[in-house]
Amino acid sequence: MTTFLQILLNGLMLGGLFAIVSIGLTLIFGIIKVVNFAHGEFLMGGMFITWLITTQMGLHPYAAVIVVVPVLFVMGALTQRLLIQPLMSARDDHIQIFATVGLSTALINLALLIFGADIANTPPHGLRAPLEFGDLRLLSGQLMIFGAAIVLVVGLELFLKYSQTGRAIRAVAQNRGAAELMGINVNHIYVLTFGLGAACVGLAAVLIAPLYPTSSNIGTYFVLTAFVVVVLGGLGSIPGAFLGALIIGEVDALSGYYIGSDLREAVVFGLFLLILILRPSGLFGARQNLSHLS
Amino acid sequence: MTTRSILLGTALGLTLGGSALADVKIGSLYPFSGPLALLGEESARGLDLAVDQINAAGGLHGEQIVLERGDAVDNNQAIGEARRLISLEGVKAVFGTYSSSRVIAASQVTELAGIPYFELGAVADEVTGRGMTYLFRTNPTAEHMGIAVIDMLVDQIAPAAGKAPEDLKIGIIYEDSSYGTSVAGHEVAHAKERGLNVVLKSGYPANIVDMSSLVLDLKGKGVDVVLQTSYQNDTVLFLQQANEAGYKPMAIIGGGGGYSMQPTADAVGADVIDGIYDVDFTQYAINPDFTPGIETFLEAYRAKYGQEPRSGHSLTNYVGALAVLQAIGEGEGFEPDQIVASVKAMDIPDGSTAAGYGVKFDDTNQNERARMMGMQWQDGKLLTVYPSDAAVAEIRLPD
Repeated sequence: MTTFLQILLNGLMLGGLFAIVSIGLTLIFGIIKVVNFAHGEFLMGGMFITWLITTQMGLHPYAAVIVVVPVLFVMGALTQRLLIQPLMSARDDHIQIFATVGLSTALINLALLIFGADIANTPPHGLRAPLEFGDLRLLSGQLMIFGAAIVLVVGLELFLKYSQTGRAIRAVAQNRGAAELMGINVNHIYVLTFGLGAACVGLAAVLIAPLYPTSSNIGTYFVLTAFVVVVLGGLGSIPGAFLGALIIGEVDALSGYYIGSDLREAVVFGLFLLILILRPSGLFGARQNLSHLS
Repeated sequence: MTTRSILLGTALGLTLGGSALADVKIGSLYPFSGPLALLGEESARGLDLAVDQINAAGGLHGEQIVLERGDAVDNNQAIGEARRLISLEGVKAVFGTYSSSRVIAASQVTELAGIPYFELGAVADEVTGRGMTYLFRTNPTAEHMGIAVIDMLVDQIAPAAGKAPEDLKIGIIYEDSSYGTSVAGHEVAHAKERGLNVVLKSGYPANIVDMSSLVLDLKGKGVDVVLQTSYQNDTVLFLQQANEAGYKPMAIIGGGGGYSMQPTADAVGADVIDGIYDVDFTQYAINPDFTPGIETFLEAYRAKYGQEPRSGHSLTNYVGALAVLQAIGEGEGFEPDQIVASVKAMDIPDGSTAAGYGVKFDDTNQNERARMMGMQWQDGKLLTVYPSDAAVAEIRLPD
C-alpha cells in the first residue's frame, strides 16, 4: 500500500513538473497559434542562466528568478518580433513551425559553443532534501514546483479574465480582425504573449535547475512530454494543460512501475495517439483552435 | 622520454622527413563539433599524442605523419568526411572515431575504397564482426564491459562482503539504445554462466526524467546489486533518486559513460557517490607497473594541453594508435595490404602498454586482449580496484 501511495505521490510531483513546463507552451499556442518547438531550448537557456547566477554569485537558485524571468520575456518577445512576425503573413502556417525548429537547433548549438557538452550542476541549497510523511517521501524542491504550477495557472487565468491587457489578449485569440477594428494593436499583443509564454518557462527553469543537471540537450528531455500534455489538455487551455500534466505524470509513474520503465514512453505516446483519435480537441480545448490550423 | 631524446628524435625525423618523397597522410575522424564533441576531442588528443611520439622518433619508414582531421558530427557527415579524406587528401589509413554509429557508417566507405580503418574507442558489438577486411578495433567492447562487471562482482566484491555470489539478488538496468542494450545482454549472459541470480532486468529511454518507479521496483524486489549501463544524465538521476528514496543496495556497479566523470560526482555529491563501482576504459588512478608508459603519456598530455586528461578516452586512443603505428612502421610500407599484413602480425603481450592490456587481432579484427578495468569512487576519487595487479586501492564496502 505504501508503495502504491508513493507511486501516486511521485506521479503527482512529476505532473507538477510537466505542468510548469507546459503552461508557457499552451499560452503561446492558444493566442498566436504557433507551436513553439524552441520551448525546450528556452527552458535550457533559463537553466544555464540560473546555474551561472547560483554558482558565480553564490546566491540561492530561486534568487535567479529576478534575472531569468525578464531575460526570457525579452527572448520570447524578440523571437516573436524578429522571427515569427515577418512570417505571419506567409501563405503557409507551417513556415512558422520550421522557423521555431531552426531556432531550437541554433540554440542547442549556441549552448554547446558557450557551455560545452558537459553537464552543469546548480547547487541545490537544500531543495533536494527529502521531506518525510510517515513512509512517504518527496523533495522540497518538487513541492515548490507543484505549488508554483498552481499559482501560475491561477494567476494567468485571473490575468487573462480580469485585466485590460488580458481581455485584449483573449480578444485577439478569438478574432484577430475584430480585435484590430476595436483598436487593439494585434502585433503588440503577439509580442507580449510570446514574451509571457517564455517568461513562464523561465520560471520553470529556475525551479527545475536545482533538481536536474543542466546540459545543452536538456530541453528535449522535457519538451516532448510537454507537447503531449498540451494536446491532452486542449491546445491553448491553461487549466487543461495543468490537468493534462497531472494525468501524464500519474500514467508515467504507474506504467513505469507496473508495466516497466522501457515501456512507459510507449504507454504515454500510445495515450497521445488515442487522444488525437478520440478527442482531437483535448480535455478543455475548443474546436476552433484546431480548425484554424486546417 | 627525456626532453633530449625528444629533441634528438625530432631532429632526426626532420632530416629523414626532408629526404623522403612526401609526408604520409593519415585521417583523424572524430566528432569535433556537435553533442559528442567533448569526448570526441578528448579521444582525438590520444591519437595526436601517439603521432607526436612516432614523429619525434623519426616517423614511419622515414616519413613524418601528418594528420588530416575530419569532423564526424553526425553519421552522414562521417561518411562525407571519410570520402573526402580518401579521395581529396589521399590518406593511407583512417583512425578514429569514438562513436559507434559513426564508425559503422564511415567504415563502409573506407572498406569499399580498400583503405584500412583503425577504430580506437567505439564499444558497440556491431563495429567488428561484419566481415570487413580493412576495419580493425584496438579498444575493449560492450562484451568486455559486461564480462568485467560480472567478474569483478563474483571475484572481488562478493568475497569482500562475505557473501556467496549466488545468494545475491542482481538487478540490471540500462538505457535502451544499442549501447545499454548490448552491455546488459552480455551482463545477463555472463551472469548466467557464473550462476548468479538476476531478479530484474529493465531498460529505460536515455531521456527519462524520472526514475522513481524503477527505484521502487528495485527496492521492492530486494535487489542487492544494481548494474547500470548509462549516459551521464540518467546516471545522475538514478543515483540521486535512489539516495532520496533511501535505497542503499550492497553495491551499485556502473558501466562507463556517466560513472567515470568528475562532473557526475559533483552533481550527486561526494557522499552519495562514495563506494560506487564503475567499469570502463583504463583510467589514471592505476598501478603504473601494470600500465608501463602511462606516465610518459601524462607528461606529454600536460605539456601539450596544459591540463589533466578529462577521461580515459585519450589514453585508450593513444595506446591503440601507438600500437598500430608502430606495427605499420615495422611492416613493408603504406599500401593497404602491407598495412593489413603488418598489423595482423602484431603481438603485444598483456601488461606492456599504458592501458594495461596487450594487442593482438583475432579473426574478426578485434583486439582479443583488450579489457576493461574496475574502479571505485573513494573519497571523491575514482580509484582502480580490479584486477588486483592494476589496483591502487582495496575495495571498500559501505558501512
